[in-house]
Amino acid sequence: MEVRNLSVSYGGAQILKGINLRLGAGLTAVIGPNGAGKTTLLKAISGLVGFKGIVKLFDRELDSLDQAERVRLVTYIPPIVEALPDVTVGDLVLSDSMVDHGLLPKYVEILQLHTLLTRKLSLVSSGELSRALLARGLSRNSRVIALDEPLSHVDVRFQLILLKHLRTLSQEGRVILIASNQLTPLLSQVDYVVAVNGGEVAFFGSVADLLKTDTLSRIYGVRFEVVRVGDFTDLIPVEPS
Amino acid sequence: MSSLDLFIKRRRKRFLIAFTLITSVLLIVFLAHLSLGYRFLNPLEVFVEGVAQVISRNLGVEGYRLLRALTAVVVGATLALSGCLMQVTTKNPLADPYILGVSSGALFMVVLSFMFAQPTAHPLAIALRTLTASSGGMLAYLLTMFIASKAGTTPTSVLLAGVAVGTFFYSASLLPQYVMFQDIHKLIAWSMGSFVSPSPEALVPLIVVSAAALIYIYLVRSPLNNLQISDDFVRQTGYNPMNLRRCLTFLASLLASVSVAWFGVIGFVGLAAPHISRRVLGTSGLVYVLPTSLVLGSLILTASDLIGKTLVPPVEIPVNVIASMIGAPTLALAIVELKRYGGGGS
Repeated sequence: MEVRNLSVSYGGAQILKGINLRLGAGLTAVIGPNGAGKTTLLKAISGLVGFKGIVKLFDRELDSLDQAERVRLVTYIPPIVEALPDVTVGDLVLSDSMVDHGLLPKYVEILQLHTLLTRKLSLVSSGELSRALLARGLSRNSRVIALDEPLSHVDVRFQLILLKHLRTLSQEGRVILIASNQLTPLLSQVDYVVAVNGGEVAFFGSVADLLKTDTLSRIYGVRFEVVRVGDFTDLIPVEPS
Repeated sequence: MSSLDLFIKRRRKRFLIAFTLITSVLLIVFLAHLSLGYRFLNPLEVFVEGVAQVISRNLGVEGYRLLRALTAVVVGATLALSGCLMQVTTKNPLADPYILGVSSGALFMVVLSFMFAQPTAHPLAIALRTLTASSGGMLAYLLTMFIASKAGTTPTSVLLAGVAVGTFFYSASLLPQYVMFQDIHKLIAWSMGSFVSPSPEALVPLIVVSAAALIYIYLVRSPLNNLQISDDFVRQTGYNPMNLRRCLTFLASLLASVSVAWFGVIGFVGLAAPHISRRVLGTSGLVYVLPTSLVLGSLILTASDLIGKTLVPPVEIPVNVIASMIGAPTLALAIVELKRYGGGGS
C-alpha cells in the first residue's frame, strides 16, 4: 500500500496534511493523540472520505478502482455505530451483502457472539457491539483492513484474541492498519508503527526504532517507562513531561 | 448447524408465521368489512358485484363497500411504508408522518388550495392536489428536522419539534375551514381522517406512488438495510448516504402527503406498524420488516374502519379516531423502551 501527499479537509479545517507512507503486508499500528487524524487516515485509505493526493492499494490507484473492486479490496471497521435501537446483533453481522458467508459463522464463534445474536444493539455493551462490528468487517475477507479503535471497548481477552488473529491474517499477505491508543498490548503485537500528530506523520518504522526515539513522549506529552517481559513490551505512562 | 444459521433459520420461520397470520386476519377483516354495514351482505357477492360496479363507474352499495375496504388496505400500507422509511432514515423508532408534522403540513396546503379551487375529478386536478399536499408535507418535514437539529436531533427532540410543527399546521388548516366553507362538516370529516367518501380517483395516485416507492426500495435494498445502522456502511455499498436519505425522505413525505390529500390525517399507523413488526419478528432486517409492516398497516386501518362504521350505527366514527387508539399506546410503549435503554440512537 502506498500513500502519496494525502490531504483531507473538512469544512475548512485541514485534518491530514500531506501524508506519505509505504506499507507492505503486515500489522501496522496507527497511534497518535485524540484528534490527530487517525480515523480520517483510515477512512481516506478506505475511500470513505474525499481526499487530495494518491492512495495505491496493491499497485492500483484507489480512484481508478470501480466501486465493486474497491469495496472488495478494502474494509473500514468502525469502533461503534449509532443504529436504530431495534437492530439486533444478528441483523448487524448479516447486514453486509459483501461478506463471505463461509467466514461469518467462524467469526461469530471467535468473537463469541453466538449467545448475543437475538439481542438488540440498545441492550448490548459497547464491547459486545465492537465485537459484532469486527465479525462483520473481518468476514468481508478484504486484502486491506483498517480497524478503528478495535481495542478500546473489548476486554483484555478479546484484545489478545483479536491481535493474534490479525497477525495470522497479515501473514497471509494482508495489509492491516490498527488505529488505537491502547499502546499495551498493541505495540507488542505489531510489525510497524505510524505515529500521527496534527495531521502529519511524526514517525514511521518498527516498534524497536520507535522506542529509541522520543516520539511517544513528544506526541502525547507524557513520559513513558518501558517494561519488557519476554517478548512483551509494556509502556507505563508516568507523568506529563 | 452454526448459531448463525440457527438465527437465520429462526428469523425466516418467525417471519413466515407472522406474515401468514397477519395476512389471514387481514383477509378475514376485509371480508367482514364487505359484509357488515347498514345491512348484512354476502362478502363474495359484494366483491364480485363491487368489481363490476367499480369498472363500470356505476357505484352501488357493493361497489362503495369494496372501494372503501380497498382504500383502508391501500392507505394502511402506504402510511406503514412511509413510517418505516422515516424510522430507517432517521434511525428513530418514534418517527411517523403524523408525529413529525408531515400529515398536518400536507393537510394545511390542501385546505389552502381549496380556497382557490373546488376539488374536481379531472386528472390535472388530481395531479395538482397530489403536488400541493406533497409540498406541504415536505415543508413541514424539513421544518421539523431543522428545529430538531438545533437540539441535537435526538429521538426526543425530533418528536417534540414534530409536535410543534404539526400543531401549528393543523391549527392553521382549521382556520380557513371555519371561515371560508359552507360545506364545513364534510371538510372537517375529511381532515379528521376518514374513508367515508372513497373514490377510484383517490386510489390511483396512492397506488402509483406506493408502487414507485416499492420499486425504488427494491433497487436500493442493500444500502437501505445499512442506513439504519451506519452511514459508513452505506458508503461501503457504493452509495452516498446523504443522497439516499434525501430520496427516501422525499418518498416518505410523498407517500404520507398523497394519503392526506384524499383521506385526511390518520396518525400513528406509520409508527405502530413497523414498531410492532420489529417486536413480533425479533429483527430489524427490512426484507422481513417491510412486508410485515405493510400488511399490518392495512390490517390496523381496515379493522379500525370496520369498528368505526359498525360500533354505533348509523354514526360513522372517523377511522383516525379508532386507529389512534391503537397507535398512541404503541408510541407510549416506544417512549418507555427508549428511556429504559438510555436514550437510544439519534
